[in-house]
Formats: sequence, C-alpha cells, structure tokens
Amino acid sequence: MLLKLDKVAKFYGNRLIIKDVSCTIEPGTVTILAGPNGAGKSTLLKIMAGLSEPTAGEVELTVENDSIGYVGHQTFIYPDLSALENLSFWSSLHGQKNDEETLLAALDRVELKRFAFERAGCFSRGMAQRLNLARVFLLQPSLILLDEPGTGLDVRSMAILHNEIAAAKERGAGLVWISHSVAADLVRADKVLAIRDKKVEYFGEAQGYTPEAVC
Amino acid sequence: MLKAAVSIAAKDLKLVLARGTGLIQALLLGLLLIFVFSLSQQIGEKMSAQAAAAIFWLASVFCQVLVFNTLFSLEEQNGARFGLLLSPAPVQSVWIGKGIGGFVLLLCAQAVFLPATIVFLGQSVSELWHIGLAMVVAIDLGLVLLGALLGALSQGQAAKESLLSIILFPLLIPILLAGVRIGSAAFSGIIPEGFGDWLGIVCAFDALFGAAGLLLFGYIYSGEE
Repeated sequence: MLLKLDKVAKFYGNRLIIKDVSCTIEPGTVTILAGPNGAGKSTLLKIMAGLSEPTAGEVELTVENDSIGYVGHQTFIYPDLSALENLSFWSSLHGQKNDEETLLAALDRVELKRFAFERAGCFSRGMAQRLNLARVFLLQPSLILLDEPGTGLDVRSMAILHNEIAAAKERGAGLVWISHSVAADLVRADKVLAIRDKKVEYFGEAQGYTPEAVC
Repeated sequence: MLKAAVSIAAKDLKLVLARGTGLIQALLLGLLLIFVFSLSQQIGEKMSAQAAAAIFWLASVFCQVLVFNTLFSLEEQNGARFGLLLSPAPVQSVWIGKGIGGFVLLLCAQAVFLPATIVFLGQSVSELWHIGLAMVVAIDLGLVLLGALLGALSQGQAAKESLLSIILFPLLIPILLAGVRIGSAAFSGIIPEGFGDWLGIVCAFDALFGAAGLLLFGYIYSGEE
C-alpha cells in the first residue's frame, strides 16, 4: 500500500467539500478519480499529496515526500528558464544528479528535445503541459497524482501521456488520475474512486464501474 | 537542506537577473529616495552623517520589500510553490534559499546606493569604512532573515502583499537604528557612544529573526489556498 485515506473530510471555512472519503492506493495500479465538476476531486488530490490538511480523518502515506509526483492545474514552470533549466532545477531540488544527456532524453520522450534551450514562457499550453509531465516522470516517483493531465494536449501528446502512465505503472508506481474523459480512460484504469454529493459513491474495480452514473 | 536552498537561490538569481524587473524597480526606488532627500540641501551644504546613514538604510529597506515580493511571486506564476513543498528538502530550505537570493540582491542594490549616498548627500568615506561594511553585512543578515519569513506572507496575492511592509517595518526598527548609528561612524570617522551595545543589538536581533524563521516558516508557507 502506498496511500490510505480513512474517513477524510475537508471544509473550506463553513463549506463542506468532501466527507467520509476512505480508499487505498496500491503499487502498480491506476486509480481514476471521477466525479462531476466541483465534487472536490482536486481538493482530494491535494490532500493525498500532503499539500492540504484534511479537516477530519487520517492520511497514511508509506512513501517518502520525494516519491510523490504531482501534476496540478498549474504547470510549475518558470517561464524565464529554458525547458532544460526547468528540468535541471526540479531534479536537483529532488536530490537527483541528472546530466544533460538524461535531461535531454526526458525532453525527447515528450517530444520537446528540439525546444530544450528555448524559454519555457514561449511554449504553448500543450508544450508547457508536456514539460510538466517530463518533470514528473523524470523524477520516477512511487506515487503519481495527476489532475486532468490531458488539459491542452493534442491527440499525439495524449498518446505520449498514456505511454508514460503505462510505463510508470509497469515499474510499480501507484497512480491517481483525474480524467476529463472517464469513459475513454477507463480501459487504462484498475480502480475507480467516484465522488458525488461530497462523498464516495463508488470505490472498486474499474470493470464494475459505469461512468454514466456520475459524469 | 543547504543544497536545496542553494539550488533555489541560484534559480532565483538567474530569474531576477535575467528579467531584471524586480531589481531595477528596487534600485530606482532607492535611488529616487536618495535623490529626493538630496534636494533638501542648499547648494554646497553637507548633510549630517547620521541623516545620510538613515536615508541609506531607508532606501535599503524599501528595496528589500520589493526584492522579497519579487522572489516569492516567482513561485506563484505557475504554481511552483506546490512543487517546492513536494520536494524532499524541508520547507525551511525555501526560506534559506530566498534569504540567500535576497541577500545577494540587497548587496547589489547597496553597491549602488552607497556611492549615490556619498555623491548626492555630500558624504565622505572615513578610515572606519571597514567597520561600516561589516555592519552592513550584519544588518543585511537580519533584514533578509525577516524579509524571507514575511515575504512568504505575500505569496503573490495582492490582498496580502501590503502585510509585508506593515509587519516588517516595526520589527526592523532596532537593527535599523543600529545601522544609522554605526553607519554615521563610517561616514564621519567618529565612533558613536555605546558602539558595543548597538553591535550586540544587531547580533541579538539577527539570532532572533533566524530562530523565528526556522520555527514559523513552515506554518506560513503551505499548500493551502
């Protein structure tokens, strides 16, 4: 087990966002986090990452902090640094000594190698998101939390994303994935955690889940 | 922790020096302040060493507020704060990194303010210049330790940014008074009465700001929005 949530609840001021959320994330599995807009999926993902404290309940993480990869709504990119400098900074911050060749290989995997020395601020939304994905997959974390990682990606980039997710799963990472097209991505998932009306509606095998029930 | 702090500081310096905006604004504000005060003098009149030192430190403090607002706003543009918080290094490494970056930028700004103070405010450099220089470093240390702590309060949100200067200035008064007293010695060549006491005040407040930063930064700089 990588992560366990036990009866987690979160309030923002007086507003209840989620309550009684319990689930476990196992290594080598992909869990899709489903639910309508405003259901509290992103808040739940931040709680899983340790970026937000739950108001009630417990979060048990068995991985070290450096072993969590998080892709949020924002890209974590410094626009005035080049793509290579961005990757270099994040890998050095995580204590990894990656040489230029390794960093360029990571950029190559998301088809950004030829833009390696260009300012990231000049990148389109899709390119910035690919750089963001390169950052996360370069660090090879044990737990990967993806909040709508397909935002801004074209069909070709989506294929790259799906390949990276499959590769991460293959090496034993646990993934939690908020997808904006649950029905299409269900084939890549092992489990589904569906949230409706602020609480868990379904948590179980992906095969037994019907997306229409929530989205 | 220190390695992560150095990485953050190096990245910040690269960004600020490449873009220039935050530092240039801070430099212009400080220089404008020194120039405006110079207009209060009659032609050929020499400002007292203590007044000149006070204006130098005022320019430095305004510069420091802008520098730390700039340094922390770098992390807000694309949500990089969350990435820093998810790194294996303790959150205090962000505080130390921002402090190192701010220290270098403040020294760069003061390297411009000092000649401007000498030229525009009619000062000369006495034989006690080395004491003045050592005190600049000691006082700057206190400025950046507190600035990096309170700069986190701003986190790029306009509503909170005003907090930085409101909270910062009263807390800095003791070390700024020491800076004025000892700075005047560097300009006039006369060691002020109670020099040792002022020195003790600077060291004590540096230690206090350092301890406060280590203890409180984790509570201030978080992933909550």
